[in-house]
Order: sequence, then C-alpha cells, then structure tokens
Amino acid sequence: MKQQTNRAVIDRTIAPSLRPVEHISFVAPHTYHLKNGAVLYFRQGLQNDTSKIELHFAAGSVCGDPLSASLCAGLLINGTKQKTAKQIQKALDAVGAYYDVSLSQETTVVTLYALKDQLLKAYRVFHDSLFGASFPQKELNELVHERQQKFMVQQQKVSFLAQRLFQRSLFAGSIYAQQIQLEDFKRADRSAIMAFHQQHYLHGLKKVFLIGDISEEALQAFQVLLNVFESQIAARKAFEWQPEQGATHIEHEGAVQSAVRIGRPLFNKTHPDFCAFSVLNTILGDYFGSRLMSNIREDKGYTYGIGSHIVENSKFGYFVIGTEVGVQTRTATFLEIQKEFERLQNEAISDAELELVKSYLMGQLLKSADGPYAMLDLFANVETIGLDLSFYDHYIAEIKAVDAKKLQELAKQYLNWDQMLIISAG
Amino acid sequence: MIHFERFILENGLRVLFHKEPSTPLAVVNVLYDVGARDENPKQTGFAHLFEHLMFGGSVHIPDFDAPLQAAGGQSNAFTSNDITNYYNVLPAHNLDTALWLESDRMRSLAFTPKSLEVQRQVVIEEFKQRYLNQPYGDAWLQLRPLAYQKHPYRWATIGKNIKHIADATMDDVRAFFQKHYHPSNAILCIVGNFELAEIQQKVAYFFGDIPAQIKVERKLPEEPIQKRLRQKVIVRKVPADSFYYAFQMGKRLDKDYYLADLLSDHIGNEKTGLLFTELQRKKRLVSEITAYITGSIDNGLFVITGKINPKRTLMELDDALWPLLEKYKGKKMSKSALQQLILKLQTAKAFQDQGLLNRAMNLSFFELLGDAALIDKESERFTSIQTADLQTYAQQLFDKNRCALLQIQAQLP
Repeated sequence: MKQQTNRAVIDRTIAPSLRPVEHISFVAPHTYHLKNGAVLYFRQGLQNDTSKIELHFAAGSVCGDPLSASLCAGLLINGTKQKTAKQIQKALDAVGAYYDVSLSQETTVVTLYALKDQLLKAYRVFHDSLFGASFPQKELNELVHERQQKFMVQQQKVSFLAQRLFQRSLFAGSIYAQQIQLEDFKRADRSAIMAFHQQHYLHGLKKVFLIGDISEEALQAFQVLLNVFESQIAARKAFEWQPEQGATHIEHEGAVQSAVRIGRPLFNKTHPDFCAFSVLNTILGDYFGSRLMSNIREDKGYTYGIGSHIVENSKFGYFVIGTEVGVQTRTATFLEIQKEFERLQNEAISDAELELVKSYLMGQLLKSADGPYAMLDLFANVETIGLDLSFYDHYIAEIKAVDAKKLQELAKQYLNWDQMLIISAG
Repeated sequence: MIHFERFILENGLRVLFHKEPSTPLAVVNVLYDVGARDENPKQTGFAHLFEHLMFGGSVHIPDFDAPLQAAGGQSNAFTSNDITNYYNVLPAHNLDTALWLESDRMRSLAFTPKSLEVQRQVVIEEFKQRYLNQPYGDAWLQLRPLAYQKHPYRWATIGKNIKHIADATMDDVRAFFQKHYHPSNAILCIVGNFELAEIQQKVAYFFGDIPAQIKVERKLPEEPIQKRLRQKVIVRKVPADSFYYAFQMGKRLDKDYYLADLLSDHIGNEKTGLLFTELQRKKRLVSEITAYITGSIDNGLFVITGKINPKRTLMELDDALWPLLEKYKGKKMSKSALQQLILKLQTAKAFQDQGLLNRAMNLSFFELLGDAALIDKESERFTSIQTADLQTYAQQLFDKNRCALLQIQAQLP
C-alpha cells in the first residue's frame, strides 16, 4: 500500500457552491430560399470532417393512406429505372455514406451522413435514387413480407399494444388515429405508392437542413439539385378529434409486466402555458429525480422506469406518462400516479424543489445547444411549428419567472385524473 | 487525433483530461474495472445491482442525483460483462459538484437496507422488462452458457438467475464494494474547457484522500477452444423461428477483432451482404439476417442471427448456411470492397467522436485496455489489414466445431 501524504482535510458534507447558467447563445443557420419555394438552412463552422443533409418532406403517415406512406418511405432508396437497390447501396458504400429514412405522422425526414468531402458525391447518388425511385414490384413484395413478419413480432410486445391503443383513442375521430393493421399489408398497391411518391415527395419538399464545412461550389450544387423537387404543399385541413377518456386494459396472455400509457390532449410550444407546463411536467416525471421516479421506482420498486412527456405536432400536442410495471402492481401504480397529481394540485411545490428543477432545465438547455448539430436541431424544433430561436430566450425567461402558485393552477387545469385516457396492456 | 493528458494520484487513481475549448459543458466519466465477468458464479448480477446502489447515496451525501441536477447536470451508468461506467454531464462552471459526488461514492457508500431492498425490486422489474416480457428476450441468457463453458462470460450482466439478486445480503454488497470500488480500480476522465493545472488541483483535492487499496489481480479461466458444435433448441411463444450462430473469436486487442469486425460488416450488411443476398433474397429462407461481433475484452463471439420465413425451417437454413460459409472461405475479397468497408467504419467513427461523452468513455475504455492513446491507433489497425488476412481469418473463424448454435422454435398455436 502506498503512503498517504497529508492534505487539507475537506468537509465532504458541504456541497460545492453552484452557479446558475447565466446565458446561452442561440445561433441561427444561414437561410436560402430555393426557387421551388422550399427553404435550405445551412450551418458550417464545425471542428471535424463530418457532414449531413436532411430533407423534410410533407410525406408523413397522415398525409395520405398510412400504408402507402409507410411502404413508400421503406422503398425510397430501393431502385430506379437505371439502378437496382444493390447498385445504389454499393455506390453509397463506395463513398462511406449512411442514410436514414424516418417516417412520423406529419413528416418524413430523409438524412444522408458522410464525411464533408464525400457528401456531394454521395448526395448525387442519393438524389437520383430518391427522385427517380421506381418502386420495383419485386422490392415491394419483399418489403411487405418483411414488414408483416416484424409486425407479428411487435404484436407480442405489451408496449406496442398499449402505445397503439393509446394513439387510436387519444386521436379518435381524426386522421391521426389511422394505423396500419396486419391485414392491410395484403392490399399493398404499387400504383398507390407511386402516386404517393409523386405527390408527397416530388412535390412535397418542405425544407432542407445542411451541415458541414463544405465548399461554396458544393453548396451551390446542392441548391441546383434540390430545386428539382417541387414544393406545393396543401394546407392541412382543420383538425377535429374526439379524444377518449377513461381506462381500457388489453389482456396479453403470459405477460409478467403491463405497459401503461396515461395521457390527454395538450398543446405545443406556441401555447402561452407551454413553458410553465414544461416545468410542471419535469417535476412530475421528466427527470431522474421526478416525483413519479422517486415514488414509483425509488421508493416502491414497482418499475425499472417511469416518465412523463409532452409530445408535439405542428398544430397541437399531447401529454403522456409511460411505464412498464409488474402485473400485480399495476393498480397500485395507478393509485400512486393519481396521488401525485393530487399532491401537485393541493400542495405548493417547495422552493428547494422548484429551484432544483429550474437549474436542471437550464443545464439541459445548455446541453441541447452544445455544438453545431445540437444547435441546428434546436432550431429545427421551433422552425417546424412556425417559431424562431427567440422562443428559447422566452423559454428561459418563463422558467425563471414561474412560481409555485402558477404550477399549482396548471396542475388543477391539466392534471385531472378523471380527464385522463388510461391504457394498459399485459 | 484526440489529445489528452494523463496523471496518476498517489492512491492509484488514473486520471485522463481531454481539453475541448468549444463547449460550455463538462463530462466526468468514471470507469470501474469491474463487470459481470468478475462475479462469483454463485452470485451473478452483482456488478449490475451495484451500479443501481451507487445512486442510493454515499457516506456524506444522502442523494447522488439531486445535487447534480441542482447543478444543471445529469448522470447515468451502464454495466457490461467487462466494466461498470458512470458518467456525468453538467455545465462546466459546476464541475466541482460532479467531482465531489463521484469522489464521495468512491470513498464509501451509505448502504441502507431500504436502498438495497428497493434496487433489488427495480432490477427484478428490469429483468422482466428486458428479458422475460419481450419476444426473443431471453435468447442471450440461453446463448451465453452455450458459447462459454469456463469463462464467466457464460452469464449475462443481469445475472444467470434472478434468485441471485433476490438473495443478495448487505454483507455481500459491502464486500463487493470493498473489493472493486477504490482508486486503483478506477479511471477518471474529464472533458471540457479547462487547464490541466486546474484539473490536477481539483482532482487531488476531491480524490486525493481516498485510501489506497491494492488492485485485485484478475485470474479468469480462458475459454478453451471449442472442439465440437454445440446446439440447443428451445421452444418459445414467438411468431417466427429464430437462430443464433455464435463463433469463437479473439480478444478486443487481438488482430482478430479488427478482422472479425470487417467480416461481420462484409457478410452482414443489408442489401449488399452475402447473408442478405443469398439467404434472404435468393433462397427466401429468412425474413431478416445479420452478423455482428460482441467486441468484449476477453475472447468474444461472432454472431450470425435472423428469423426464419413462414413455411421454411431452421434445418433448411442450416443446410444452406454452412455451404455458403464454405464457399465464402474460398473467395478473396476485392481490394476495393475492403477499402469501402474501412471508409464506412471511419465515417461512423468520425460521427461518434463528435460527442463529448463518447470521447470521454472511449478514452477511459482504451486506458483500461492499456493506454488511452490506443484510440488513435484504431484506424491504422484497420488500414493495415490485407485482403489475404481476411480470407485466412474467415477460414479459421467459420469452423463448425467452434460454433454454438441456439435455435428458438415458435410454439405451435
């Protein structure tokens, strides 16, 4: 054993002094308005050789038939009249590029990653595949088959069952409730997919996010290529829904845990209560020290994890609590969640807890703003719903200002157990 | 290049510092040289249970997370068969808070019976969520003891039997801490916009008075070279039959690892890989198939896994796979194919290295392997590979006698 030298004795019971996050600078990307009406956002000044381009199309699952939307996204880079899927993949491999197609309800985001010197080369291949996608019947048949198989596996998961019923019930009466069923795959139709591609991709480019230290020539070449798409996006119809409330349980034989989703319709960042409600949501369930985690995991040991979230769409949002709990403790968990709602309504949050959560949220925002990639994502999050980066200054001011009284009012307004949709499976 | 500084405290704590001037954040990563492989076969799952207990408060600080959250930070951890890794990300000006918290729990935990009781329950729920309540969830619980018979990789980090967790006592837990949680068994890595002198001073202040302890030498049994195919069939309520072919491969720093990594990409890639083109598309035996390596520090596994198509069988797949691998052994990869694989790996690495946390974890991990500077030699280890090396290695790797095969059969309704 080594000798210990004498050192200043520290009193470990005293926490180091803390300083709050004073300031966060938000940097907007360069904006280029393309001739076709779409917008290109460009960010450079990275300290490494990475780069990516992200194309946002108005091609989400609510933009048309969800089956066509899903299969179209799955087949985007799977063959053109000139090239097979394999040839395209090999051409992308040759420049070390990766891509990803991500379908959500309102948008499909197509992302291509490469080193900065390879990005334009990779995009040329990618662009031709995306623009000239020919949806070979053979590839379609294969995809349908693979999707059916995956779907059957998903159906064995209680989290999948609960999440789907939650979405259907919450969005009841609206296009957001549409879901693909296993039987639907049988009616997969190539011409419907081609029509979807024509309308929602070739004519549906909304915006592009480009990041990396690429050359001026490359930037111009991207603009020329992107102009080939058109941007004629139909305004979304007025949104109507009849959200359901109350509890429904799906039995799943042999399950040892139940998946739970509890929630209600809410708003997105454009609503005046959004920022203050974010603080309330964090206290309730959106960080490791939250009330739900402290009570249901750290005190009772009912679950590996429980959390609450605000999920946003372009025009609205919803609030949801998610967890997986032992089948025997499901009912007890419901009671505890209800108790936590009531505590937030009936008792003022202590200064210590409120200060902690405010500091935590500021630290997390600092983290979300760290580095060019993160900053571009922050920008995209507000741009999508028609806001700009000044939202975050407003958010900081609102977080600093919110008090226990306001949070208690919000809990009374938005966190009523009787108004919740409660879904469980397992 | 990832530049770093290294210093070692008198109590044996190894410290790495990587300066990143562009960030307002700090990362504090603490890697403990203890994983599931260090567990007593009769008390498995301890390293992971312990990771949970490490958040239950230390001697001077009742709650780990609250002070860190008040500092604007966040913390988490993971346990593997090799290591237990704790990480904190927080605003740089509050660095002291993370050092204070990490040093106090390295010194000693509070060990309350309540904390043990609750975390035991939480881990049991985690076991259910990940392994029992998912289709194919227990595959690795079955595959490990088939592929390993001597080495402690034969059990998963969650433990081989949940009863081991259920039966853990306070004394067991205390003993585990004393053996594995001390300065010379840890690597601390700090990333952020700091000066070296400042880091040296702070680390000495917070960690310097933790008593030194002798690092226990690890004496794990080598997994013997397998002599015959091992096969196991289990029946589960799943929608499709599935298979796991696990081949014995080398250690993390062996040349094997780099060869196996490239081979797994080459045959396993979707759309272009041999497995996909031949078995999924041409023969239509499977609905998905891929290959990957476990990448563990001690001898790892090269795994080929997938799911069988309806009306096709595990046996048909088996009959097709072996001749396919035989044929592959006879063919040399083209130089351009090799260059492409390497470029893809380099691209992926460039994206990973962007993240501060990734850099901190990787530096710590390579330091554990012997030297954090090895991180910059990775690329060279790939580019020095010749196509002939890959062929020779494929011939050695795809040996039926050195394969453990787990087959999961779908229960008939």
